[in-house]
Amino acid sequence: MFGRKIQEDDVLRALRQVVDPDLHRDIVSLGFVQNLRIEGSVVSFDINLTTPACPVKERLREEARRAVAQLDGVREVRVNLTAEVRPHAALDRSALAGVRNIVAIGSGKGGVGKSTITVNLAAALRASGARVGLLDADIYGPAIPLMLGHQQHAQVRGNRILPAEHHGLRFISMGLFVSGDKPLIWRGPMAHKALQQCLFDVEWGELDYLLVDLPPGTGDVHLTLAQSVPVTGAVIVSTPQDVGLVISMKTLRMFQQTNVTILGIIENMSYYICSHCGAREEIFGHGGVRRASHELGVPFLGEIPIDTRIRHQADTGVPIVLADPISPAAVAYREIAERLAAQISIVNYQTTPLRIEEVSI
Amino acid sequence: MNAHASVRPTAIKKIGATEIHILWSDGHASTYRASYLRRHCRCALCVDELTGRPVLAPEAIPDDLTLLSVELVGQYALHFRWSDGHSTGIYPFAHLRALCPCEHCTGAPSERERL
Repeated sequence: MFGRKIQEDDVLRALRQVVDPDLHRDIVSLGFVQNLRIEGSVVSFDINLTTPACPVKERLREEARRAVAQLDGVREVRVNLTAEVRPHAALDRSALAGVRNIVAIGSGKGGVGKSTITVNLAAALRASGARVGLLDADIYGPAIPLMLGHQQHAQVRGNRILPAEHHGLRFISMGLFVSGDKPLIWRGPMAHKALQQCLFDVEWGELDYLLVDLPPGTGDVHLTLAQSVPVTGAVIVSTPQDVGLVISMKTLRMFQQTNVTILGIIENMSYYICSHCGAREEIFGHGGVRRASHELGVPFLGEIPIDTRIRHQADTGVPIVLADPISPAAVAYREIAERLAAQISIVNYQTTPLRIEEVSI
Repeated sequence: MNAHASVRPTAIKKIGATEIHILWSDGHASTYRASYLRRHCRCALCVDELTGRPVLAPEAIPDDLTLLSVELVGQYALHFRWSDGHSTGIYPFAHLRALCPCEHCTGAPSERERL
């Protein structure tokens, strides 16, 4: 009644028309199509994406469904979306064996909201289904324990440090090594040692993304990170102000000098919506970061408004992405997290691992 | 250094204990002798940090110096341990590319080889 039997080859040929817009290749040759089953007139398969935070997943699902549905004899198409974050090619240091991507978050100067952004991006990636860790390496003002509402000291088992876990995020902060209001005074070598401990002595387990919240500027901690591990890439947080931008560029150049890929720039404090009249105020100007990223050929990941609720949620230990997921700020964070995840997937497809081959003579 | 900023190694080989081969993303190939690389160390023990003047005398390095190990530093440099006990230098890829001793890169191979 349905004519000839549906062939696997025909289904795959149809699916080759579906192209991932970020990786510029079809989903069959990318190996995304898995578990293809043909039962009578019903075709079902998985699309295994490179990140659960994929910004185009629904589009890919729909295109794949449509491509197969038009085949002769197909009555029903079942597309199941799965995701497996691919590891960065160069990451195989044994202590971090379960960590697939290390992403540095930096800024040129302090006070641009870097930690707030890091926490909310982590929460947004987690909410999409990814396994996420946070390393608070801001030795001058470790803020992440406060923002996640968890300030207990780090626990030690044997000679390994156990990360704290809250809101489904594993995290370690330089702030967990000292108590409350005591200032952190680090000499360069101490910061170096402490960061290496946070990377190699922590029981991170399996993580798709480990976000590292760096101190502002360029210094010991940045260099230690770039020298100790193959970072997948770095994100720069900037305010729209020119002064902030010029300084951000220094951080950007430092990452470029150590061959760390710039995954993108985020503009924070882009504008303020008055809670009384709804008028939009561009306090620090607007669009400067987008312009600069365009000139530099670096992806612009998005902009985040000034919103007193972002600050309030950070202070009370529940990031706004979790506390109020439908607020405009949470939506902005989610979109940025998706663009970031897409950039990470692109980098991992383009990077070939660098190894030193020993040839004996 | 900036001329080579975007060029990256695609293959790195340690040949025995005396040579390093690097194939670059622009197709260029470089071969370095261990003693040559050691003489171009830019660490603070070999080059004065403030004046940039060399502290290390090239003749202090024997021609038969060998390489004990090579490691990657993040994704931007190589780190060597030498048979004279030295190990504090970090060689960014851009620096290594600029140091390429081949005829094409130096225009005067014999001059460069003697260093």
